[in-house]
Amino acid sequence: MTQENRLALDNCIKCSICVSHCPVAKVTERFAGPKQNGPDLERFRLEEPAAVHPSIGYCSNCKNCDVACPSGVSISAMNAKAKGEYVTLHGAPLRDKILARVEQMGKASRLAPSLVNRLGRIKPLRVLGEAMMGVSSEMTMPTYAKKTFLEMFQPKKITASKDKVLYFQGCYVNYNTPEVGMALAAVLAYHDIELTVEPFNCCGLPLIANGFLDVAREYAQKNVSKLQQYIEQGYRIITTCPSCNLTLRREYQELFDLDTSQFNEQMMDAFEFLNLLDQRGELKVELQELPKRVGYHQPCHLKAAGCGIPSLETLRHIPGLEVRDLDAGCCGLSGSYGFKKEKYPISQEIGQNISRAVQELAVDQVISECGMCQLQVHHVTGAKVYHPIQLLAEAYHLA
Amino acid sequence: MMKKNTDVLVIGAGLSGLMAAAKAVAQHKKVLLVAKGMGALGLSSGCIDLWGYQINQPDKVCTNPLAEIAKLVSHKPEHPYAKVADVLPESIDFFLQICHQNKISYLNTNRNWQLPTALGTLRPTYLVPQSMAVPDLAEVKELLVVGFQALKDFYPDVLITNLQKNTPLGAHCHLKTLMVKLANQELNANTLAHLLEKQAMLEQVISQIKPHVLPGMVVLFPPVLGEQLGHEVTEVLSEKLGCSVYEVANIPPALPGQRLQKALLHHLKTQGVEVIIGCQVTDAQITEKRCQGVVANSNGKIMEISAQTMVLATGSFLGGGLTSQSNEIKEAVFGLPVKVCPGKWSRQDFLSLAGQPFHEFGVAVNDQLQPLDDQGQVLLENVLITGANLAGCNYPIEKCGNGVALASGYKAGKLVGEAGR
Amino acid sequence: MAAEKAQVVVIGGGATGTGILRDLALRGISAILVEQGDLAHGTSSRFHGLLHSGARYAVKDKEAARECLEENMILRRIAPNCVENTGGLFVQLPEDNAEYADQWLAACAESGIPTEELDPRELRRNTPVLHHRVTRAFIVPDCAVDGFRVLWSNVNSARRYGARLYTYHSLTGIQQSNGKVTGVELTNQLTGERKYIECEMIINSTGAWGGAVAALAGIELNIIKDKGTLVAYNHRLTNQVVNRLRPPGDGDIFVPHGTITIFGTTSVTVNDAACTKPGHGEVLDLIKIGQEMIPDLENYRLIRAFAGVRPLYQAGNTAGGRSVTRNFALVDHQERDGLQGFISIVGGKFTTFRLMAEKTVDLAAKRLDVTAPCRTAEESLTSPVSEQWLERGKRVFGIPGAKKAADRLGDSFQRVVEEAEKNPDQRKIFCECEVVSLAEIVHVAGDGDSFTLGDIRRKTRMGMGTCQGTFCSYRTLGALSGYSQFAGNHREYLTKFLQKRWKGIRPVLWGQQLREAQLSSAIYCSLFGMERML
Repeated sequence: MTQENRLALDNCIKCSICVSHCPVAKVTERFAGPKQNGPDLERFRLEEPAAVHPSIGYCSNCKNCDVACPSGVSISAMNAKAKGEYVTLHGAPLRDKILARVEQMGKASRLAPSLVNRLGRIKPLRVLGEAMMGVSSEMTMPTYAKKTFLEMFQPKKITASKDKVLYFQGCYVNYNTPEVGMALAAVLAYHDIELTVEPFNCCGLPLIANGFLDVAREYAQKNVSKLQQYIEQGYRIITTCPSCNLTLRREYQELFDLDTSQFNEQMMDAFEFLNLLDQRGELKVELQELPKRVGYHQPCHLKAAGCGIPSLETLRHIPGLEVRDLDAGCCGLSGSYGFKKEKYPISQEIGQNISRAVQELAVDQVISECGMCQLQVHHVTGAKVYHPIQLLAEAYHLA
Repeated sequence: MMKKNTDVLVIGAGLSGLMAAAKAVAQHKKVLLVAKGMGALGLSSGCIDLWGYQINQPDKVCTNPLAEIAKLVSHKPEHPYAKVADVLPESIDFFLQICHQNKISYLNTNRNWQLPTALGTLRPTYLVPQSMAVPDLAEVKELLVVGFQALKDFYPDVLITNLQKNTPLGAHCHLKTLMVKLANQELNANTLAHLLEKQAMLEQVISQIKPHVLPGMVVLFPPVLGEQLGHEVTEVLSEKLGCSVYEVANIPPALPGQRLQKALLHHLKTQGVEVIIGCQVTDAQITEKRCQGVVANSNGKIMEISAQTMVLATGSFLGGGLTSQSNEIKEAVFGLPVKVCPGKWSRQDFLSLAGQPFHEFGVAVNDQLQPLDDQGQVLLENVLITGANLAGCNYPIEKCGNGVALASGYKAGKLVGEAGR
Repeated sequence: MAAEKAQVVVIGGGATGTGILRDLALRGISAILVEQGDLAHGTSSRFHGLLHSGARYAVKDKEAARECLEENMILRRIAPNCVENTGGLFVQLPEDNAEYADQWLAACAESGIPTEELDPRELRRNTPVLHHRVTRAFIVPDCAVDGFRVLWSNVNSARRYGARLYTYHSLTGIQQSNGKVTGVELTNQLTGERKYIECEMIINSTGAWGGAVAALAGIELNIIKDKGTLVAYNHRLTNQVVNRLRPPGDGDIFVPHGTITIFGTTSVTVNDAACTKPGHGEVLDLIKIGQEMIPDLENYRLIRAFAGVRPLYQAGNTAGGRSVTRNFALVDHQERDGLQGFISIVGGKFTTFRLMAEKTVDLAAKRLDVTAPCRTAEESLTSPVSEQWLERGKRVFGIPGAKKAADRLGDSFQRVVEEAEKNPDQRKIFCECEVVSLAEIVHVAGDGDSFTLGDIRRKTRMGMGTCQGTFCSYRTLGALSGYSQFAGNHREYLTKFLQKRWKGIRPVLWGQQLREAQLSSAIYCSLFGMERML
């Protein structure tokens, strides 16, 4: 245990604020809660690494505990490590091994994406999948795109690019929603900024969330060495997925002790970057009027980044646009979590806050940065859900 | 480095910070509220205590706390109330108005209530959530205390035993207890509160209680009657049981404080305040007697925030506003001098009626809530101090924590709202 | 006044007294143990919990070192659930006398204490909290031992052979006739009731109170009272006991105990055996010394401080502190003072309590004409918890909960698991910091020997973790309202419990512990108004 972790452990005063803000513990007693699994048992794990509560699998890794904690305890990291310990000791079902390998699933789907999508909509098959594998037959499956983002993206040389920008697109954008990446590329090109892309390994979050820390560590090491090279060449790294961002910046350091200190400065959300342009007076603010009302859902991992909601600042420039924050907390899906048979009901129960808020605000469109949140918000409300960068591209006539 | 610019920066998400932000935004300022974590408001009873006991007889409850505070101002001019008593009535009105707008109703009877706690004691308080407004127990003929087997933090027998010792109950008052048994083995307060919003679960609870209910009965519950705002678990219970139903104050986690926190945060967001939780202010840039901006750490990322005025509402030790080592106490953000009682941080008796001295440690301020040095000179002109950051208040004994937070937060919000006009 | 009979009344429920009770019972001598508070009221709960390998004494006293090693091995064998086999380290810093290490090594070898030198680089890898300047490090067979558990195991073992125990009874009179002890008079500390016990012999094993007890028999016994202050850290700083490799002094022992680390000690002569108030200044002095070994020591969170009074005996000499021998003295008052049936056992250390008891009972048996030999080293104190029961326990209490409960409960573990299996309701973890279940608390509350929340705390560790009982004391009180001894006086029980915790917290009241105290004060005063509770 590092010195920093020892001190963070000592900071816990057992106030239970983390428990009160845990979306999972709020709706089910099956999870002993972030405090018991995190700082409480962490003291035992110093002597006995196997001291993990069996309910650890119910932690969805949403990180609301970290945000709420007034004492600066890295509760979610303690839980993630404990989950890793538990899986090492007790193993994990095949289902989890598959769900955690988002990158491989994406690659496999390339053989016939539309077939995969069709299969995912055949109810009897899904029922079979639930019975055999424990994958909920109710949850909407993500659809795979015909072409990946990396296939679609045409690098454009911009001679006097104002910034050197590398895009860490993440698995979901690459395989499922390449339109998000394309919208970003268009917006940046519109500002004369050249975008560099490159295939990366999955950030590893799905692996971490399922307790496969060893595989995740390998990905982390590979990603860090690649990204480090770009940073040394003066690149900024931008993301459109808040979870990838947080994993690269924080989890790599907290869980694997990798030095990501430079990432904190050079890696940012796409909208943080756009706001930076705005502060420099370089953001183009002649935007088309979009007279509509959309809901906004803040992904938990963006909240955990603690930088506010950069997209809403940029979108303020769009005339006529009214964005209403759902302020409804966690959506409940948490990546692969909500696809699991035994967790699906929990995930849907948490998601009720979202459907209530969408109803109250009477919006039929919702924007949100996280692909998984997009999927869940659509699943629980039926609303059209997309990434804020797509809205911005629309306002620039780039859609 | 990320930069943010705002008119008013509020640091801290406890009651005083939330009030400051609410009042500032009501005066059309651009407000940013950042906090390291969720404030201590969620740990509190959810009631607004103004002042509990008589200054001259600290074992006697005072009925009119506003009058008592007026006495206090001359009696103890270093008390935070002495700086904010001028706005106390209007801060109360403002608070009630916000609560009303956000589906959480508080009662104000212009006097102190004496509310039973889970321990069976009575605590004097002023503004009370509707769900906790237990009537005068001396008038109650039938009292039923209901606990839940699955909830390890509430024991009707303890409440009843001590209530008999601590309350002038009516001579013919009947006391009964009941443990509701659900299928769940263990539930924390939040999980139980969530479950009780489900109609089927509530029906189950009602069916177990109903046979024990008598006409005119008052039924006390742990503070778990629903989680969401505007979800009327208490009302439904009252109606279906045909009697009055209340929640009593209990150790955290407890819902009334959490609901208030949620309502106020929601209010800020709907009013356009940007709220960032999980963002710790670590340093301040000061030139002359003005703070130009602060540096914050957001989960590893460094952010610069500049603002015209700032409200320091980071709390005392518990909230992290004050930090201590074995021989030294510091104010965490600006490094302001902290008024302490040297060599005497604590008293031998944990439950001393004189209170633990460390609660009184904090920053000295003037009437404008600006921080002062030990000579009484203003240290920072554009930084206002509120709530538990203020020196001179022993809230656990005086029963004035949320009251001081409310009035000082409101006043700071008002002052920063007027600044630059 | 009810009269009861026993051959021997043992006064003092510490390690020695309970060890004597067990030894007497195993030899078939009827015996009653009398203790003024709960077991371990005195020094047996107020030490660092180190089961010495003897290495600490090797240079100065080879005989004592050999005894320690032997007793260490015996206790590991007969009471595995009371001993945490951590192993120990002796580390030397550049400023320590380098020659001392060689002298120490030779002495250990001579006393038969196994040592193994460790590469300082390996030490840095395995135990990173230690100072990187460590020049030499050695592994020795030190262990951590739980005083409460050893004492209760002694008593429970003795009870199986008919021995009796009265806790919360103070000795108020010693009856004698014709130069012979005939009985004792006791007063119940909780009810004020008096009790008389007829006996042939009194064994005074009251440690620091030894002089006061002897005085009741009209005998003068000079005991030096040496106060040692210790602190408890919030987490395990190291997984092994750590000693400084230099002549024994203040602040040179760290002992990991379950979730915490105990660090000590100091040495100050005091007048009163009950003087167990730890001082803020002593704590700061300790930290300063300890920082030489663990540089970040002042940044780690202390949860409390406590102090114990070592009873040191030196016939005729008045020098105090570390210069007085840590060895024990058996005083036969028949020989020394002409009072038949009165024996005092003074001094010594926890590690060798069994041996002290054996020597004492050898003498007692001789005087009572009993020839049965000592069997305390052969017979197990507790039977180990089987794997099968541990597995069943894990299913109801989780991994750490079951393991810790098995260690704490020993022979009663099965019963508690069965209860929790039958009543899922009792699986609730009441003390979340130390993972103590309601089933365990209920079991202890009903064991017949628990009268206060403090008694339950000592047997279960409820309230001994990070929050120091803020949450679980209130819960426990509520859950125990069905027990008559806990039902009526909520205010008194809770106040006493919180006040005892406060006594230990005050000397370390800064940093996170000050935050914790503010939370606790906010709950009990602001929220509950307990300061004005009737």
